[in-house]
Amino acid sequence: MTDNILVIEDLHKSYGDLKVLKGVSLKVTKGETVVIMGPSGSGKSTLLRCIVRLVEPNSGKIWIDGVEVTDPKTDLKEIRKHVGFVFQQFNLFPHMKVIDNITLALTKVHGLDKEKAEERALKVLKKVGLEEKAYAYPGQLSGGQQQRVAIARALAIEPKLILFDEPTSALDPELIGEVLITMEEIAKEGKTMVVVTHEVDFAREVADRVIFIDHGKILEEADPEKFFTNPEHPRLKSFLKRLLERV
Amino acid sequence: MPIDAVSNFFNWIVFVVNFMWGRIPFMLDGAKLTVYIAVMAFILGNLIGIVMGILRVSGVSILEAISTLYIETIRGTPLVVQILIVYFGIPIATGIRFDPVMAGILTMGLNSGAYQAEIVRSGIKGIPRGQLEAAESLGFTYWQSMRYVIIPQALRIVIPAFVNELATLLKDTSILIIIGVHELTRRGQYIAAWSYRYFEVYITIAFIYLIMVLIVSRIARLIEKKVRIPGLGVAGGRL
Ligand SMILES: Nc1ncnc2c1ncn2[C@@H]1O[C@H](COP(=O)(O)OP(=O)(O)OP(=O)(O)O)[C@@H](O)[C@H]1O
Ligand SMILES: [Mg+2]
Repeated sequence: MTDNILVIEDLHKSYGDLKVLKGVSLKVTKGETVVIMGPSGSGKSTLLRCIVRLVEPNSGKIWIDGVEVTDPKTDLKEIRKHVGFVFQQFNLFPHMKVIDNITLALTKVHGLDKEKAEERALKVLKKVGLEEKAYAYPGQLSGGQQQRVAIARALAIEPKLILFDEPTSALDPELIGEVLITMEEIAKEGKTMVVVTHEVDFAREVADRVIFIDHGKILEEADPEKFFTNPEHPRLKSFLKRLLERV
Repeated sequence: MPIDAVSNFFNWIVFVVNFMWGRIPFMLDGAKLTVYIAVMAFILGNLIGIVMGILRVSGVSILEAISTLYIETIRGTPLVVQILIVYFGIPIATGIRFDPVMAGILTMGLNSGAYQAEIVRSGIKGIPRGQLEAAESLGFTYWQSMRYVIIPQALRIVIPAFVNELATLLKDTSILIIIGVHELTRRGQYIAAWSYRYFEVYITIAFIYLIMVLIVSRIARLIEKKVRIPGLGVAGGRL
């Protein structure tokens, strides 16, 4: 194996008659940050969910760090132990304190003892700048803080790969910055990340590669500079035009 | 004459209060039994309801079928008939005999269990999908996700419905007069039968039920406050 953390080969997924992914192939190497963009309904969330089999693909193969995710014999828990997932709606557990949101998986899934788990939780909270909110409840935090806690929760499992599904699109504009900065710091530390986002500045400054997906297919893949200044595919051109006008 | 009507009414109130006052201890004993039966039935129904409600959404078809059968059967038959079956039918069929209070608790508990199962199920269904997704993405099994994430939230949401069920039970215990349980309504019947003061007696009885139900809803509000998730406006309020 090379240092590919994620390999996707010819992935197909349909919901009933609706073909959502029509042969997606993708490689992400260790330490890379890949940004995925594409119109609403193009299959971005479905793609991320397939990677950890929150959604079952119809065909195609996926490997994470050399382990085949799509092999029916593979233990799902073993895969998910090594992949962090950050959702658009944060999906923190509202009935638990911030620290318990983070330690729950560490103790119940990763087998850490309580003390170790709390130590690690405080460490990742510090990293996202929310150490002092450890004993607050999610509902007592702003949206931006909640998403940073969700990022901390994903980081705490020391994942090989973190998937972000539009992490800032549920946030008020003034709260987006703090989340993007947190993500940028994580990327700089060398974490491997796949980020679905429409934040152009983030993609330009942080991404190693940007991917355009439309109607279930990858139509373009380029470094950010080329992606934004010299796009080739006509659909990407019109997509970028709309995206940049919106801002 | 309006003056006469007013003074008649006043005299009547004085009479009722005097007459009832001496019977209060007798009625309160009945009320105690009413509360006892309702609370025991509620607890039994709560245990059944939580188990059946969870089975109902377990994703295991045989368990879901068992739970559905239970809920549909209980909800599809009259409570009075269920009481008659437990008190008169079961002893003859099996030789197992319950005293009236026990039969009452058992039947009302089994009955309430079906309704509470539906409450639990709706609570679980009311938790946003993302919660389960997040839990599973962290590597929890379906059952772990239910246990640590979904059910604790669902139970908080359904507290008002549970309390409503307790209030219903308090009132429905009056049905147990058909098997001769000496609860509040039955005691009212005694007093009414020898005094012929049907109207006054049953009004008083109704009043006592009303007070009990009001107390229950007050307690409910305290509990709701206590288990409220900090930062969420009302219990069950979502982000
Ligand atoms: N569970 C599901 N059942 C049926 N159809 C679904 C399901 N999930 C998604 N879809 C459909 O699949 C298509 C792709 O959805 P997906 O969420 O992957 O798109 P997306 O690119 O993430 O869009 P958005 O930018 O709006 O988040 C959409 O048409 C959506 O309606
Ligand atoms: Mg999406």
